[in-house]
Amino acid sequence: MAVATEPSRSRLANGVEVVHLEMAEAPVVCLDFWCKAGSRLEEPEESGLAHFLEHMVFKGSRSLAPGEFDHRVESLGGSSNAATGFDDVHFHVLIPPEGASEALELLLELVLEPRLGDEDFQMERQVVLEELNQSEDQPEEVAFQTLLALACPNHSYGRAILGERSQLEGHQPAAMASFHSRIYQPGNISVALAGPLDQLDLVERIEAGPLAGLATTAATPPPAALALVAGRQQLELPRLEAARILMAWQLPCAHDIDGVMGGDLITTLLAEGRRSRLVTRLREELRLVESIDLDLTVLEAGSLALLEAVCAPAHVAAVEAEIGAIWRQLCDELPGVAELQRAQRLVANGHRFSLESAASVAGLMGSNCLWGRPLPLDAPLLAIEQWTVDRLQEEIVPLLDPERAFTLVALPA
Amino acid sequence: MNLERFHLPGGCPVWVQRRSGPDLISAKLLIPGGSAADPPGSRGVTQLLAGVLTRGCGPLSGDQLAELVEGRGAGLRCETSEDALIVSLKCASSDSEALLPLLLTLVQTPWLQPDQVTLERDLNLQALQRQREDPFQLAHDQLRHQLYGQGPYGHDPLGVEGELGRLGPGDLAARLPDLGLQGAVLVICGQPPGALKEWLTPLDQPQGPWKTFAPHQNPGPAGEGGERLALVPDETEQLVLMLGASTVPLGAPDALALRLLHCHLGIGMSSRLFVALREEHGLAYDVGVHAPARRGAAPFVFHLSSSADRAGEATTRLLDEWQRLLEEPLTAAELSLAVAKFRGQEALGRQTCSQIADRHALLLSHGLDWDYADGALAKSRQLVPADLLAAARRWLARPALSLCGPATALAAAERSWQRHRLSDPPALATR
Repeated sequence: MAVATEPSRSRLANGVEVVHLEMAEAPVVCLDFWCKAGSRLEEPEESGLAHFLEHMVFKGSRSLAPGEFDHRVESLGGSSNAATGFDDVHFHVLIPPEGASEALELLLELVLEPRLGDEDFQMERQVVLEELNQSEDQPEEVAFQTLLALACPNHSYGRAILGERSQLEGHQPAAMASFHSRIYQPGNISVALAGPLDQLDLVERIEAGPLAGLATTAATPPPAALALVAGRQQLELPRLEAARILMAWQLPCAHDIDGVMGGDLITTLLAEGRRSRLVTRLREELRLVESIDLDLTVLEAGSLALLEAVCAPAHVAAVEAEIGAIWRQLCDELPGVAELQRAQRLVANGHRFSLESAASVAGLMGSNCLWGRPLPLDAPLLAIEQWTVDRLQEEIVPLLDPERAFTLVALPA
Repeated sequence: MNLERFHLPGGCPVWVQRRSGPDLISAKLLIPGGSAADPPGSRGVTQLLAGVLTRGCGPLSGDQLAELVEGRGAGLRCETSEDALIVSLKCASSDSEALLPLLLTLVQTPWLQPDQVTLERDLNLQALQRQREDPFQLAHDQLRHQLYGQGPYGHDPLGVEGELGRLGPGDLAARLPDLGLQGAVLVICGQPPGALKEWLTPLDQPQGPWKTFAPHQNPGPAGEGGERLALVPDETEQLVLMLGASTVPLGAPDALALRLLHCHLGIGMSSRLFVALREEHGLAYDVGVHAPARRGAAPFVFHLSSSADRAGEATTRLLDEWQRLLEEPLTAAELSLAVAKFRGQEALGRQTCSQIADRHALLLSHGLDWDYADGALAKSRQLVPADLLAAARRWLARPALSLCGPATALAAAERSWQRHRLSDPPALATR
């Protein structure tokens, strides 16, 4: 591989972590600001505030008028976006190198000193409510949200990132400002830079900018461990055209990179590609499902394996029974070595392919750095190679016992 | 970056862009003649054919083919757009030798086994049914009908349920010889092995080389003026609005002006629609422009979803924005921002080998030059606001509106439409 895999790291005096990687051939630089301000840090009365704040950040700062950031960044040929998760939020800009220094200054100013103007706040509340409406019009999203609420009833992962409508309607700027000043602190922040960075002095600019001026504080304590609840429920949803079987299992948390890779391998072995066990059996041979997916969502307090099978309502029982049978077979017989190698190559290539763009490289570095994992970019590749069929059967397969899952069956109303 | 070009024995042009970075390749084989070329009564046959190509070809059964590809951690997809059948391969460079021969094998000697055809067809039928869960899809399907009627662009590439349900192996066998009759192009980007040519021969070749040629710039399908307003009732929270017109092919003289209007209206958070509807009025979370490149009369569509109780206001404001396009030229500042976005988008679209292969294969499949995009970038600086206004007036004068949502919202939106002068525009000059 002709690509550098060891990011350079530095730490500001107040604790902010900065990580960067030169990608000389990339046409754009990615500037990625990460903060532990995910929805899990919301207090009970702050439902939806982390995500709402992500929206409000783009409505201007102390010295940037609403819309000015977007206008200036986009005039430089850049584009920006942000995403709020359960654990963290990140704001990123992709921009040709000529505009990167200016964009970096704008980004830090925007994120650290949001204006939170009252009129803008009322307007953006409407936008957030429209986002909620839009997601509620997708029955599949409603089903997934219901699954998480049932599977993680005592954990923030069970609560919608978009928030509760009743609380969203009542939030005020002062409460948001207090959320911001509580969480957007040096110990909770990292910045990742990737792309053609040579001669841009971006790290020096960070060291001389407002981020370095923040007073040192303690990092927010790590998230409470997830304890997924097993169970089963059925519901009817309007506007659904096909039934869904959704299942959630708990797998090793993000910090356990070896366990995460084990989870990645088993979900790939089971459901990635036509030769995976679930797809071969349920879609190709028995022809009971239109599709079956099993994805690993890597999270700090405990990852989730989420299964979705789409089938006719009449096939639900047969599909569930077959999923159980496939799991038992994995317990009873060792998977083949070739089957594991297939999964290893799929996962490894997926990772290698993701290192092509500055945005995905910055995202990976930024998230790892934020959560105290100073890993080289090829760390997952090394971890993948450590897995054997015996270890997989012993350590990971038992975690996917259907008895340990929460199963939600959604039927067309 | 260095570029090579050669032809396969049957005439298919191959372009190779070598690029440093991870050791991988992305290959795109684009064969003009997508769902728009579905024969009457067989809508969905091209997509079905694409799906079945990977279910056995040459010496390999479907299972063996999947085992070979997945066993190397590679990705191989065959799919159909309106304009082309597309075979995509992405793999580690070291696996090119084993996998590149599949490209031509798929196209020349697919098995089209009846049992596999039935399976793929049933999956497509279920996918079509499931699309109805999405109000955006419903509004989009309706608008497509308004803009293209029963014409070549009038249906989803997946097909039409009644016709797809009757298709079998015979229909696919009849469609197969069409592949390559309108040309084809293969683009490979990344770090392919030195002996590339050797790996582009099919695994077995009973009837000589695959005959094709570099695609020409032929005229593509046209639009058909249908209903100006169409309503799809659905019990949703929001009303989905799609307002659009059929315009011009990617290589047409007005395409660049429309592309700059697209950038002005719909790219980024400083875009006109985003600011006017979301930032200033909080009317939507999702608002933008859908304007894909096509060989024929490409759609140019505004889309918006807004809560049902604000349907009337949302409709009026969206129509106002369209009207504005026909009346007011962009300011110089707006135009230069649009040009900056156009340049930025071009840079963003060149980040990965797959993106690069996709973009060039698309251009070449339209009969345009490899570096057509660079020429467009240079030309974009010469356009003036009056050029954009003239293009808008030529192509966007009579848009159609498609709505999906609850009855009360539909009624309110319909009243807004009828009151708006866009619903009854004066006859405009030549088109």
